[in-house]
Amino acid sequence: MKAILTDVTKCIGCSECVSACKVINHLPPDKPREWQKNDGLSARNWTSVLNNDKFNVRKQCRHCIEPACVTACPVGALNKSGIGAVVYDSNKCLGCRYCMMACPYGIPRYDWELAVPYIRKCILCYDNLKSGKITQPACTKGCPTGATIYGERNDLLNIARLRIKQEPDKYLDLIYGEKEVGGTNVLYITSKDCSLDFLFYYNNRIEKDVKLLGQPDFNEPYPQLSKFAMNSVPIAFVGMGAVMTGIYWVINRRKKIEKENKGIEDGED
Amino acid sequence: MERINRFKFVLWCILGIASAVAITRLIFGLGATTNLTDNTPWGFWIGFDVMGGVALAAGGFVIAAFNYIFGKKKFQPIARAAILTAFLGYLAVVIGLLFDLGLPWNIWHMVIFWNPHSPLFEVGWCVMLYLAVLFLEFMPVILERFPNLNILAKLHHTLNKIRIPLVVLGIMLSTLHQSSLGSLFLTMPYRLHPLWWSPIIPLIFLVSAICLGLMMVIVESMTSSYLYKKEYETHILDKLSKIASFMLLFYMILRFSDIIIRGAAPFLFVSGWGTYLFWFELIVSIFVPLIIFIIPAIRKNTTILYIGAITGVMGIVFNRLNVGGLTHLNNLSGIGTFYFPSWMEISVSLGVVSLAMLLFFYFIENYKVWDNKPIDLDSGHTAVPKFNTNYVYLGTTKVTNRIKFTFAFVFAFGLAFAAISGEKVYGEGFHKTPVTKAKGGDTLVIDGNRDNYGVQFKHKFHSDSLHITCVTCHHLNKPKDKNTQCFECHNDMYLTGDAFRHDWHTSAQGANLDCFKCHKQGNSKGKEYLHNMKSVTDSCTNCHNDLIPANSKTRLLKTYKTVSYSDAMHNLCIGCHDSLIKSDVVLKARKPDLALCSNCHIKSQPYRKDKIIFEGVQKNKWVVLPGRIK
Repeated sequence: MKAILTDVTKCIGCSECVSACKVINHLPPDKPREWQKNDGLSARNWTSVLNNDKFNVRKQCRHCIEPACVTACPVGALNKSGIGAVVYDSNKCLGCRYCMMACPYGIPRYDWELAVPYIRKCILCYDNLKSGKITQPACTKGCPTGATIYGERNDLLNIARLRIKQEPDKYLDLIYGEKEVGGTNVLYITSKDCSLDFLFYYNNRIEKDVKLLGQPDFNEPYPQLSKFAMNSVPIAFVGMGAVMTGIYWVINRRKKIEKENKGIEDGED
Repeated sequence: MERINRFKFVLWCILGIASAVAITRLIFGLGATTNLTDNTPWGFWIGFDVMGGVALAAGGFVIAAFNYIFGKKKFQPIARAAILTAFLGYLAVVIGLLFDLGLPWNIWHMVIFWNPHSPLFEVGWCVMLYLAVLFLEFMPVILERFPNLNILAKLHHTLNKIRIPLVVLGIMLSTLHQSSLGSLFLTMPYRLHPLWWSPIIPLIFLVSAICLGLMMVIVESMTSSYLYKKEYETHILDKLSKIASFMLLFYMILRFSDIIIRGAAPFLFVSGWGTYLFWFELIVSIFVPLIIFIIPAIRKNTTILYIGAITGVMGIVFNRLNVGGLTHLNNLSGIGTFYFPSWMEISVSLGVVSLAMLLFFYFIENYKVWDNKPIDLDSGHTAVPKFNTNYVYLGTTKVTNRIKFTFAFVFAFGLAFAAISGEKVYGEGFHKTPVTKAKGGDTLVIDGNRDNYGVQFKHKFHSDSLHITCVTCHHLNKPKDKNTQCFECHNDMYLTGDAFRHDWHTSAQGANLDCFKCHKQGNSKGKEYLHNMKSVTDSCTNCHNDLIPANSKTRLLKTYKTVSYSDAMHNLCIGCHDSLIKSDVVLKARKPDLALCSNCHIKSQPYRKDKIIFEGVQKNKWVVLPGRIK
């Protein structure tokens, strides 16, 4: 499975990845609108570079190994492709926006200003890679410092581990995306003083220090959350039918017997 | 009959408003009509129309279960009305959903493209099937009216035969999708407030839907009785409210035990928007109706019973709104935008409800939904049309009503169209984008490559290291001004402005100048020019000597039109940096490239202008500010 590794310490914030993404996907220019989040992502910006005084962090779709959006989509417009990208089929989509709600990273965006809107997000340059037009996504190709690189997921994990091992003082001993929500195909390593928790919805929670019963673990894949409910659907369906039929049969029989008894009594009279 | 007609008049008005908004929604998209954002993609239309609507229609399966399965024949008189309410409710859900879906014409895709893992897929299928079941359950009422048509009579007979299986199927489907609406939110544990998100949210949804269904039947029965001046079905209402009180009690215990067992109890008592919403919801949806329903002495009073039922109905619909959008953490914790429905969203929802109500009244008036038909609506239809000076009669009552309703619809439709703000509909390009004074001073964000990516322009660094004075770039000063800022003349980001106030110069209160003070007839390049031609008009500098500072690069002032701010910035930069690239023949030959940052910043190759995508989109230039980590 292919993946992207972004090294936050190497990024200089030049936004070349953003530019390259726009070129290859033919995205029109953007204008900040009220419906956009404050993270630079929009239907016309599929990746963005967030920066504070010291660090630059590239934000994009994480291409989860078990994506919540793919499970959520009622018509299967979102799919997990063989190379690891989560891709979108606009011909199937009906615009319910459940994927936007379900995504643990809040990535999918919508063409709010159009009368025929579609879901928009990074697709890891899937169509161009497949047609052989390019050998790696435009963003990693455009990166001048090698801060974001493309390759096999296992290779990238090894590279990340190696870098952390070589410079343990510099790097935070954590590969973002290795286990998070069951693993993602976009991995991050970062410096010690720059936590990337803010990319994850988990960080939005009110209860910062306690974990409530039933709430999922940091590493639990999101599709698992609704699995139990979905698996119990056929049982509930058949069970409810059986119970209702049973009750009807019992009550009907009781009434019949009552009637017969009455009839016998009437006959005797 | 005035009551019902007045009510219908209001409904037609709402329908008119909703139609105007609905057309706007279909033509201009969701962004123009709703307050939805990337942050809160679901809002009022999902919370109220879909989740609230499905729950409101739960009365159908609850009453059907009591009537046909449990053999409580007491509910027979309201069974048909309850099933009709459910059928129209689901119809309203589907119509409401059509407006919320981005691509409503693809709604049937669920039939052929399957993703059985999705809770929404299951909800969709259940709603489709249940709508069909409800239609078949209600069909006999329509078929009754045609006893002489052989085929229809046969169909009627068949439908009556399979009634019990239909009812059982309806209950099965309802149980599933009422709970699955809750399952939708299982995958959003950190989006929903911990007081609402729960692993047993499907069960909570099912129980609250049954409560709501019972209360909705009370509301529906009492409202229609009131409107048609019919006697209240007191003994049924009493029975219903008693069952509803048990269900509400169970719902309350379920809700609180869930919160306490999960360990979310501390959130009940912290101050915050989420907590307030929770307590308000609980008071409205549980406490008020529970107190009213559980005490027989109170619930005997029809007015109080009605208040209790309608409060409970609104309370549980409010619960659906809370789950559907209002209590999402990005809404509460101030991350991103705050969502509150726009008037257009609310009016479409109300319009869909009005449509369902009007259909309900139509069926009540024309079919045998009740045991007794309402008093003949057209009691005045034998009246001869007459005309006198005080009153205008438009024929029969029926005709008058028709005209009244048409008027209400058309008038409301027009008003609503007028009220929709064009700015929001047309979005970009039509309105001005005023430029304000640059704040900070030492670092500005400019669109150096005109490719819509902002670049941080270190203003202070440039002015210090290049050893130039302010006026080298800031070419002009307004008359009698020393340091005029760029934005004062280039006051729009994209549009050309006007720095010269002709009116002021000519008016008596202003400069009070004679026309020929500036407009002079004369010769230029061997041609004679009239005084109204621009080429011979005097320059501003003739009077305003101090307009251009002595050391400015700008020597000549020909026009008083100011270019847009973004153009001005670039052109003036070229002017300033012209001397730096004079030696480079290639750069000088290609004038359009002069504005590139990379002319000076040779090392940063990424800053190149890409013509492929940005050709022809020069009108909507904007600086994209990179978001900041909080």
